[in-house]
Amino acid sequence: MLDIEHKWNVGVWPLVVGYVLSAALTLGAYFIGSSLWIFVLAGTQALVQAVLFLHVGLESKPHWYLISFLFLLLVVVVVIGGSLWIMYNLNYQMMPM
Amino acid sequence: MMHEPLPDAHQDAYSKTVFGFWVYLLTDFMMFATLFAAYVVLHTKPIVLEKPLAQTLILLTASFTAGLAGTMAHRKNRLGTVGLFGLTFVLGTVFLWMMWVDLGRLVSAGQGWNTNAMMSALFTLLGTHGVHVVFALLWTLVLLVPVCVEGITLVTLRRLTCLRMFWQFINVVWVFIFSIVYLMGAYAGH
Repeated sequence: MLDIEHKWNVGVWPLVVGYVLSAALTLGAYFIGSSLWIFVLAGTQALVQAVLFLHVGLESKPHWYLISFLFLLLVVVVVIGGSLWIMYNLNYQMMPM
Repeated sequence: MMHEPLPDAHQDAYSKTVFGFWVYLLTDFMMFATLFAAYVVLHTKPIVLEKPLAQTLILLTASFTAGLAGTMAHRKNRLGTVGLFGLTFVLGTVFLWMMWVDLGRLVSAGQGWNTNAMMSALFTLLGTHGVHVVFALLWTLVLLVPVCVEGITLVTLRRLTCLRMFWQFINVVWVFIFSIVYLMGAYAGH
């Protein structure tokens, strides 16, 4: 079953696979406890849902969905990474001698 | 007088609308990124929260049924579309109610939004997500009326596709809230 305009597969199977994988990743993150692995699991699950639920990167040319998605990743890295970086630096500069 | 044939603006309305909605979702995610950045920066001391596993799985299921409803819409299956989006509506309502109870528990435990900057950032993040769920619920209700009356037309299919993407987007944001706020909450800040 294809969405003719986008060449997306809008069938049932990608959804079932995405659902099972997401549930497994959620349970894995839940039982792993507080560890940095949680970020890896969260990123993986978000990617699974982006591809299998929202069809990122699966559309026909030109890949505007994929390109705009990659730009989003860049902005998110700059906003969150940049905020943490600058605040860490400020903490460091404020350190009592 | 002869006119040049103009491009038909309505011809490709489906893919243009869906792409426009996609760009909206991306910018909405950027807003959530700033809220996450604020929370992570202000998360200076560990906070132990009850891990909402059931709530998370309920929203994941709502996202899944919304996806199935989108599939049914493409098959012009009116009953399947309405039934599955109805299920999404019920699951979304349960999720919202659980979030409300969770936030109420925090407030009555003396950890309200006015306690400190970290809790303000936390309530802003969770509240913004909750408002998205409220609008998704309202939109689902409003959209299912024309689908019941007219069935799946080109116009309703376009709207149903956007609604389906909105529910799935809400769940992607929740994946990060679940991980960063609830699972990593006990992890000491910087």
